[in-house]
Amino acid sequence: MKIATQNELETDVEVRPNGQACVVLRGRLNEHTVAGCWGLLEKELPGKKVETLHVDVSGLGFCDAAGLTLLLYLNMGRMTPRATVSVLGLKADLERIFRELTLEDKAFHPHPAIKRDSFVEKMGRRVRQMTMEFHEEMVFLGAIIATLPASIFHPKRSRWTETRRIVELAGANAVPIVSLMSLLLGFIIAFESARRLAEFGAQLYVANTIMVVMVRDMGPLMTAILLAGRSGSSFAAEIGTMKVNEELNALKTFGLDPIPFLVVPRILAGVFVTPLLTFYSILMGVIGGVIVMLGLGFTLPLILHQLASSVHLNDLGAGISKSAVFGVIVSAVGCWHGLRTQQGPSAVGLSTTRAVVTSLLLIIVADAFFSAISFLFK
Amino acid sequence: MMNAPDDIAISVKDLTVGYGDNVILQKVNFQVRRGEVFVILGASGSGKSTLLKAMIGLYPPLSGEVWIEGGNLVAAQGKERLALLRKFGVMYQSGALFGSLTVLENVRLPLDEFSGLPEPLKEVAALARLKLVGLGAAADKMPAELSGGMQKRAAIARAMALDPRILFLDEPSAGLDPITSAGIDLLITSLHHFGFTFVIVSHELPSIYSIADRVVMLGSCTKGIIAEGKPTELRDGAADPWVRRFFNRQPDPSHSVESS
Repeated sequence: MKIATQNELETDVEVRPNGQACVVLRGRLNEHTVAGCWGLLEKELPGKKVETLHVDVSGLGFCDAAGLTLLLYLNMGRMTPRATVSVLGLKADLERIFRELTLEDKAFHPHPAIKRDSFVEKMGRRVRQMTMEFHEEMVFLGAIIATLPASIFHPKRSRWTETRRIVELAGANAVPIVSLMSLLLGFIIAFESARRLAEFGAQLYVANTIMVVMVRDMGPLMTAILLAGRSGSSFAAEIGTMKVNEELNALKTFGLDPIPFLVVPRILAGVFVTPLLTFYSILMGVIGGVIVMLGLGFTLPLILHQLASSVHLNDLGAGISKSAVFGVIVSAVGCWHGLRTQQGPSAVGLSTTRAVVTSLLLIIVADAFFSAISFLFK
Repeated sequence: MMNAPDDIAISVKDLTVGYGDNVILQKVNFQVRRGEVFVILGASGSGKSTLLKAMIGLYPPLSGEVWIEGGNLVAAQGKERLALLRKFGVMYQSGALFGSLTVLENVRLPLDEFSGLPEPLKEVAALARLKLVGLGAAADKMPAELSGGMQKRAAIARAMALDPRILFLDEPSAGLDPITSAGIDLLITSLHHFGFTFVIVSHELPSIYSIADRVVMLGSCTKGIIAEGKPTELRDGAADPWVRRFFNRQPDPSHSVESS
């Protein structure tokens, strides 16, 4: 027989060779004494040959929910899996709750074990899912293409107030951050190229480097990346929240299609705002470069002459056109992920993350495509 | 700490709640007896939920005290406040279950954080609470898979996780069909027999008649309590005609369709 006494609880455990075991509890079985009692029982009962277990609690002066949990645990046979367990001597009120709560072990596993998929099944499921997603994306793209001309050629039907609001949010409010980012980008490009070009005595060509890099690539690309993080995510979060709050369902029951109502204004705003911001970004980047060149001792007329001779109008056109495509990508992807938002607290966050990641990926892919095209058809 | 009379679970003293200059409740006083089902009711916008949130410490009051089991929650800080918070559980109107956790994990969460129970016992304890509210078989489901009534039951199970003696329920029957609502009333009644003290915010009259031992009614204009007593007594004999109309579901004669 093993007897353990805690401050408020005395526990007797006896396991007889004939398979009969008895646990006697006296005193107060509460949240302070349960852990110690459980530790002793864990040491004494599991692994022993126990066919019947009697838990005598007639000596308990107090038993709280924690204590009751221990009795339930014993009653379920968790420590003595093959034994018939009986809890004896419960006071009437406790007995009622105990009977009400008596748990069968199967309650722990209400669902059957999940069957693991084979590699082929996993592949098949993934391919099917990708095909369905591609189909949905094409339907979405088709809906936009079908709706855009109507919005452009029938301006009265378009929601210009909403478009203006988004232009302000995505465009005008982004000017300070675009200014800072582009100016610093101009500094960085100028400093880095000045160091290398100085080795060849060609620091004057820093102006050419800045102009070409900003106009053809960095201006459109950095602006698009900034918009993807700032506005694309906001589109996804805004529309996603509307979906979670059933506002999209409300639109549909009014007979309003979310594509012209929500998506088209954002795409129009994206197409309008991105080239403007890109042009502004190029300007700020070049100003950054000019400041560095002035610091290197070049005169302003010389720098301006060098800048003007380094790019053609075609280059500027290519950069700006590319940025319009980036604008469509950022807006459309943001709206798409917003519309696909599922239920649950993490759904909007997930849509926002997906919108930004997909936008960045597609922007880089589109930029590489444009670079290849411009190289082939120069 | 103050020694409260043995039969008083909660004592609200001169409680004034508001936001800046906007006072919503002014100098509210009442007591909740141990083991009773106490209902706070009133018209929409009368400050029922605000009072509940002030009582559980979510809204710091502009002045006044909330004594729970002998401790002033308004003044308590640090460990003393934590100890007081463990004396009650709260079920929010929407259930407020954590959507990324299963029902069982929702109930286990407070046990994992605060209970000294051995690990295997925590699961049994969580399951026992779910069984008590009739959701033993839904333990592995996600909250989104549950109906509104089941979500509220699961939220009650979570509120009971740390074995508090007081349960605050915010609109337990709101948005539920009559049968489900009656099921929640039955659950409250059966838990009441296990010794819980309930503070319930509600304006569902059938539910109030079925479960409430005592009610306080808040008035929008008075910014305080306009009636207190047993629901049937207030229905039949309240001095304030507005209270009688409320309990008898009679419209306010000054608000006809034409006049509005």
